[in-house]
Amino acid sequence: MSHRLASLVLALVVTAFAATAASARTTAASPLTIYAAASLTQVFKALDPAPNYSFAGSNALETQIRNGAPADIFASAAPLNTQRLYKAGIVDKPVTFTANRLALIVPKSNPAGIRSIYDLRSKPVKLVVAAPAVPVGGYTLTVLRRMGLSGVLSKVVSRESDVKAVTGKVALGQADAGFVYVTDARPVSDQVTVVRIPAWAQPRVRYEIAVVSKSPNKAAARAWITMLQSARGQTALENAGFLPVPKPST
Amino acid sequence: MTRLLSRRRLLGVAAGGVALATVRVPAAPAASDDELAYANFGLAASFLAADYYLRAAESGKLGAGARPKLRSNRAGSLAQARALGDLVTGAGDTPAAAEDFDFAWPTNAFATAANARRTGLAVLRPTLGAYQSAAATVAMPTFRVLYASLGASLGQQIGALAGPAGARLEPFPVAMELEAASAELESYLG
Repeated sequence: MSHRLASLVLALVVTAFAATAASARTTAASPLTIYAAASLTQVFKALDPAPNYSFAGSNALETQIRNGAPADIFASAAPLNTQRLYKAGIVDKPVTFTANRLALIVPKSNPAGIRSIYDLRSKPVKLVVAAPAVPVGGYTLTVLRRMGLSGVLSKVVSRESDVKAVTGKVALGQADAGFVYVTDARPVSDQVTVVRIPAWAQPRVRYEIAVVSKSPNKAAARAWITMLQSARGQTALENAGFLPVPKPST
Repeated sequence: MTRLLSRRRLLGVAAGGVALATVRVPAAPAASDDELAYANFGLAASFLAADYYLRAAESGKLGAGARPKLRSNRAGSLAQARALGDLVTGAGDTPAAAEDFDFAWPTNAFATAANARRTGLAVLRPTLGAYQSAAATVAMPTFRVLYASLGASLGQQIGALAGPAGARLEPFPVAMELEAASAELESYLG
């Protein structure tokens, strides 16, 4: 009898231990939740398919995180979004991890005959851009202002919520031209033609990433960011057309 | 509402030394899109010229005696970049910095003295052309003076690079629209 009781106790202890261990393993192995700029969609998924991703305009993601969305990491296409959350104590100190450039894309059929960004001024075009609060939308305004072409904004037919929506509209021929990152043009290179924007008019496109302060997976989140900054991560970004972060000149 | 730009900042180029009165640049919010476009282009072109002078000096192909002048011209180009950057900043935009550009030079750009001179002229002439257009088209007289001054400086630099036995001096250098000047420099600006 005492032997059966001892066996039962042992079995209960083992079961309880196993359950606890399993629970701990589940917590440790729970995938990261990464909120990232839409322009990072392909490269992040290719680099690491394990995390739960939410891709959208950085401004929308900023709002969601501010409202308590359960993100572990926030990667933004503009420092403005991460820095605002950092100042509010919502994310840890952000780091810059890559850079990008803007391009004008037109459908392969190019019905408006756009060969240069200056053609936007002289030709009737249906132009699609991202909304001003979206990083790529803000950068678009900078390009146009720098080139003295703000007047072409009168030809905008649609303001989209993120860069993928702009790319999609042009690729599907629903617009004659649109401003996107060069990295967004690559995956649809069979559907669009890239019109270069001069280097002197390019905005300073910098991507920042930060651990969300309330994340229950901070160690794993930090490790993921370290991986992104490593040679492996940087190579993946550069292969996707992103640029290394320029070092300040001395 | 006006801000002084010293002669040294505007025309730091050593060669020649144009007797230029102090230029007053109006508070930048008054700057139009066109005026800012020329400023942004000129800013990049100034950084490019500074990089050219640095590489030309380092190549040694223009002679050891030319090095001090080349370095001085580099300082002048950077001074011009600062002046144009101030204009852009005043208009509420963030001016480009030298590190924003990944300047690209042809393989043999500095391989010989002739190549180095040719490269310099290829960079400076479109910039001069753009400044001529700017001087002709921008609305504000003070900006016109600024661009005319920058153009005069570029003219000196082109004359110095062409040399007494070098390229034929043009009595009427051709003004270039910004789009054309930009296209000429695109391969250098990266």
